[in-house]
Amino acid sequence: MQTLQVVFPPTDFTLLAVILGLPLIGAFINGVFGKRLGNQAVTLMALGAVGASFVASLLAFFILRGQQAESQSAVRLTWTAWEWLTLNTPNARVPLEIKFSLDALNATMSLVVTGVGFLIHLYSSKYMQEDPGYYRFFAYLNLFVFSMLVLILGDNLPVLFIGWEGVGLCSYLLIGFWFHEDANAAAGKKAFIANRVGDFGLLCAMGLLVYYSGALNWSGIEAGAAGLATQVQIWPLGREVPLAALVGQWINAPVYVDASTLVAMFLFLGCAGKSAQLPLYVWLPDAMAGPTPVSALIHAATMVTAGVYLMCRMSGVFVMAPKAMLIIAFIGAATALLAASIALVQNDIKKVLAYSTVSQLGYMFVGVGVGAFTAGFFHVLTHAFFKACLFLGAGSVIHAMHARIHDTEASQDMRNMGGMKAFMPITHVTFLISCIAIAGIPPLAGFWSKDEILYMAYTQSVSAPEAVRAVYPGLYQWPAWAGKALYVMGLLGALMTAFYMFRLYIRIFHGEFKGWTIVKGWVDPHAHAHGDDAHAAHDGHDDHGHGGDHDHHAFDPDEPREGPRPHESPWQMTTPLVVLAALAAVAGFLNAPLIGLHVLDDWLAPIFTLAKTGVTSVDPEHAMMLTLAIPSVLIAATGVGVAVYFYYLKGGEPAAAIAEKAPGVHRFLMGKWYVDELYEETVIGAIDSLAEFFNWADRWIIDGIVARLTAGIARLFGSVLRFTQTGRVQAYAAAMVVGTALVGYYLLTPRASAQLFEDDRAGSYRVEAAPGLGYSYRFSSQLTEDGEFQLEAGDAFHDRRTTSFNLERGQSRTVRVEVKDAFGHTSKWERRIERPKTDGRPPGSVDFNTMIQQGADGRPRLVLPPGHPEPTLPDPGADPQGGAQ
Amino acid sequence: MNLLFPLSPLLVTGFGALLLMLTEAFGTPRVRAAAGEEVVDAGAGRSGELALGAAVVLLAGAVLSVAVWLAGPAASPELKLLEPWLVFDGVALFMSFVLCLGGAFTALLAGGYLPEHQIDRGEFFPLLILATLGAQVLSASGDLLMLFVGLETMSLAVYAMIGLRRGSARAVEAALKYFLLGSFAAALMLFGGALLYGATGHTDLRGIGQAVASIGQPESTVNAGLVLLGLTLNLVGLAFKVSAVPFHMWTPDAYEGAPTPTTTFMAVAVKTAAFAILMRLLLTSFGDERAMSWGAGWPPVLALLAIVTMTVANLIAGRQESVKRMLAYSSIAHAGYVLIGLVATMRSPIEGQASVMVYLLTYTVSTAGAFGALILCGSRGAEAVSYDDLAGIGRRHPAAALVFTLFLLSLAGMPPTAGFFGKLYIFRAAIDSELYWLTVLGLLNSLVAAYYYLRVIVSMYFREPAPGAPVATPMRSGLVTGALVLAAFLVLAIGLAPATPLAMALGSLTGG
Repeated sequence: MQTLQVVFPPTDFTLLAVILGLPLIGAFINGVFGKRLGNQAVTLMALGAVGASFVASLLAFFILRGQQAESQSAVRLTWTAWEWLTLNTPNARVPLEIKFSLDALNATMSLVVTGVGFLIHLYSSKYMQEDPGYYRFFAYLNLFVFSMLVLILGDNLPVLFIGWEGVGLCSYLLIGFWFHEDANAAAGKKAFIANRVGDFGLLCAMGLLVYYSGALNWSGIEAGAAGLATQVQIWPLGREVPLAALVGQWINAPVYVDASTLVAMFLFLGCAGKSAQLPLYVWLPDAMAGPTPVSALIHAATMVTAGVYLMCRMSGVFVMAPKAMLIIAFIGAATALLAASIALVQNDIKKVLAYSTVSQLGYMFVGVGVGAFTAGFFHVLTHAFFKACLFLGAGSVIHAMHARIHDTEASQDMRNMGGMKAFMPITHVTFLISCIAIAGIPPLAGFWSKDEILYMAYTQSVSAPEAVRAVYPGLYQWPAWAGKALYVMGLLGALMTAFYMFRLYIRIFHGEFKGWTIVKGWVDPHAHAHGDDAHAAHDGHDDHGHGGDHDHHAFDPDEPREGPRPHESPWQMTTPLVVLAALAAVAGFLNAPLIGLHVLDDWLAPIFTLAKTGVTSVDPEHAMMLTLAIPSVLIAATGVGVAVYFYYLKGGEPAAAIAEKAPGVHRFLMGKWYVDELYEETVIGAIDSLAEFFNWADRWIIDGIVARLTAGIARLFGSVLRFTQTGRVQAYAAAMVVGTALVGYYLLTPRASAQLFEDDRAGSYRVEAAPGLGYSYRFSSQLTEDGEFQLEAGDAFHDRRTTSFNLERGQSRTVRVEVKDAFGHTSKWERRIERPKTDGRPPGSVDFNTMIQQGADGRPRLVLPPGHPEPTLPDPGADPQGGAQ
Repeated sequence: MNLLFPLSPLLVTGFGALLLMLTEAFGTPRVRAAAGEEVVDAGAGRSGELALGAAVVLLAGAVLSVAVWLAGPAASPELKLLEPWLVFDGVALFMSFVLCLGGAFTALLAGGYLPEHQIDRGEFFPLLILATLGAQVLSASGDLLMLFVGLETMSLAVYAMIGLRRGSARAVEAALKYFLLGSFAAALMLFGGALLYGATGHTDLRGIGQAVASIGQPESTVNAGLVLLGLTLNLVGLAFKVSAVPFHMWTPDAYEGAPTPTTTFMAVAVKTAAFAILMRLLLTSFGDERAMSWGAGWPPVLALLAIVTMTVANLIAGRQESVKRMLAYSSIAHAGYVLIGLVATMRSPIEGQASVMVYLLTYTVSTAGAFGALILCGSRGAEAVSYDDLAGIGRRHPAAALVFTLFLLSLAGMPPTAGFFGKLYIFRAAIDSELYWLTVLGLLNSLVAAYYYLRVIVSMYFREPAPGAPVATPMRSGLVTGALVLAAFLVLAIGLAPATPLAMALGSLTGG
């Protein structure tokens, strides 16, 4: 350990360059030479790069752990690649450095990214084997790992933003990987656009942070977070709206918000885009158009949790904004419920998992929203394991289904599955473990993390640090019902989660395999009439039948029943499943306070020291923990029980019955709450109308007037041009002569000009003539409108360049400056100066602009004019009651 | 005394030129392409070796410039002995680096271009190095006579490089035009120098500066009128060299008629050297408050020139059908941006000069790259000249199109390329000097310029050649590829770490 610390000193921690560099090299080599290298070399390169990066991350993790144990405080190992730019703001000089740092939070995260990343690379080496774009796929995947590492290891927001955009780009490329199909390309575009909305928020947040906290790097933001305890005028922006004359002065009534709330909401907008929260979640389910390993890595385990990571990273800022945090927690809870309800009825197994991911992300935001950053991050970890395992398991099933059918949609439809348990035992067991984990059954991982979030939601609220509240008393306080409401919403979501996960599991792995009946272009004639669950109910009748001879689906009777059977996947695909399932089973013990384990809590505690001061709990002794855990276990068990009853024991009959009884609700859920349609109508509709307008404007105004005008001018230019650019050297020389003459004329004739310095309030004025080589000056003034100009000091020109004088209120005079150059030519400049009768302000008012000056620390400071009474500011330390006892 | 090391950038180019001349005259080429034999690699003949030699000499010059720069002027007090004739300070070394870099690009490009287009003439390379030497001397000269010597060394070599293709009437015409007008400009400058000497009694720039500063003092005998006349003539002479409108008329003809590597050299090195000496002359000899006055000094003249240059060049460039001619006008427009930086030295001398220096560096790598990519896209009998020639090249030759795109984006000033930061620093210096409307006009002009740069990209990626139309086929040349890779690397490296060149430029000025 000692040697390692010498090789990698904390302020020049080059190991980070290794962690980052390897996937980048992999991406470069595979991208540029991949076609020539062949699949084996590509695999070796890609896996080697990510695997070695994982080992390096592991090493870095242990070095960090050693140092943190030694110093008993937050340790940050940094590596500065180079300095990019320096921003000069009114308040501070902000260096923009390409700098990376490692602390407890992102060390853990980087293990997940490289570790799970490696497993998924391994899995993909088989899953994508047949694909002609094999090298391209791995180049993108490596590039993704690199970008994700930039995102989490960046030491400041701009670097994080580079990674943020990088993962967005890779996600876009990989969603549209099979871009030959329009739907996939459209899904890629949708993800791109939703993320742009979020990025806009992130950029705004960055601008505000530079201004209010004076820094963009983590430690600087944390140190300057107190600067956010102020108000920002958000309306009117800049100037007053000129419409006031028409609609009344109310339109210019200023609107203020807390800077912290504004920053937190903008940051959250960014997080909501990346982490698929309301209202920007719509892209994630569509993103399943990408290859399944991509869904596992990017759209479940890593990229989509970037928003949660950012919230943990900026915890010091978020706890300053209780109002924003309440909104965030409720958005998280609402997202969790909405997505879970949609997942209840979906038939595409990847869609179910996608909505499940959105829902679980909602839980994470509930966690961080109530200020339980450790709990939220804990769920990121456990979710990475079980959801990656579920996606890879689903991929394995789809892979197996391809033995029967080469149609993407049909091979992902759970109505075509069933009984897969017999064909693929490893996939089955690992899938089951992950299902139990996500359903929240103890003692698997999902239970511990979800339970901690629910407990925290019930007991904890964000209240901003005591010190901030003292100086800035206007801060919002959470209502008492908020925690209970969040807890109930969370429980409801947990019920649905357990149900839909086991519905998924049972319909894939149990019952009769229905894949025998699928042929290309097969359409279930009943599906549209009764919905999918109705179909399942019919199938339930022949539970004990064989092959489905008496199945009443309209398929070609000559179609052979036999043929290729689904089979278990090769070891490259099952190994990741086993590893991830094992992690999904045990990762919960990282933080299991009920049985006295707080490894993760202790590990992350130094990161969240500031955040800890900003939250209050109604249960500081954790006495209610067990009490609150019991309902959550019961409700998970209920969900599982209902699913088992519905689909395993009754073969889906009750579900079908419910769907028939309440067709409206069913259709509503199948239609995903019609959110896409809503956006189509409102946002996209509005944009379409706008586009319509611009199209019109383009045709008539731009093309009709502007273009024709420009073309006319350009034509004019052209003819002038043809005239000048004749190719005749005499003409060129003539142009030079004319040019020389013009320059000479400018420099060799006198040019009188002067600058006027006015002070209307004092009534003193000064005129300063512009200097010139060999110039001499003469000043004269005209005191009355038509009077004579009176020379100031005799007839002669002199060297003095300025003159000054005083005026009474309302008095005016015209000043003339005469200049004589070296050749004896003269030129003059005149200006009429009038001192206003009043200076436009009520008597005794103070000019604030002259009083705000730059202080020694670079921040603005109020400087009072002499004689002005010192303002009395409330003493933050004083008792608010003001009682002297 | 040890002058060898500090003067090595000049010595290497000087002796390199002589050595190459001897090699060219007495050496026998190792490979002779038999008549009618297909030459696969264009750089394989005689030019290839000479080009490589020239590139090595010039790159050595560039590296030595940086090395001497890093050692710092304090390390070699002997350099003071050369003053006032040669002022080999930080700025001169920085410029020497940029000039040698531009020369090296030219050498590599010529190594591919000349044999490909059957103008395989060895004298090009010694001439090129001598022109670079002239440019180095010009940019470092601290005396009007030295300035003239440098200017003519550079110009005479360039005249010959333009007229290299003797069989082509256009090339000869271009050379003659440039020669005639260049002589005219040189005569004006010489006359201006004579007037300055007459007025001040000095030919060294610093002495002139002191004499100018003494104007207005009772005992001064310096005639301000003569000084201003001398300033006018010198301004015009150098405005001709940097091709500012209306002294630019020769530029499109000469650039188009010349072999493309020569065009590259004129666009980068000649312009850089002229700007370097213009900056030195204005700030050393006419740095007086009265000469730099916004009311009646040279800054308003340069500001006017900048506006006219940018606007006229950009508007005309948008109407060109030949990409080479478009690039010629583009280089005129870029001179306009640099002039903004020079005007900015009026109120913020350090930032203004630094921005000009960084701009010249970024401009050199981007322009050399753009001309190089144009060279790469053509081959014998099918030189890429017009937009139509480039149609569809993005599909047929993605690598060539990609680097071309990179250089065009840099010229247009898109982040994160070098060109963006060049413009950023220029405009920032202008804002610091309160030249708001000049900045706005500069920004508007970059917007206009983006149109014709993007038009090339559109041609390459989104157009297909008309059926039956002649199609440009990229040549195969290791030398040209090498030049492009180096230029692309620099464009990206400066874009990603723009603080380094800026710090170098600032360090040159403050002696840090």
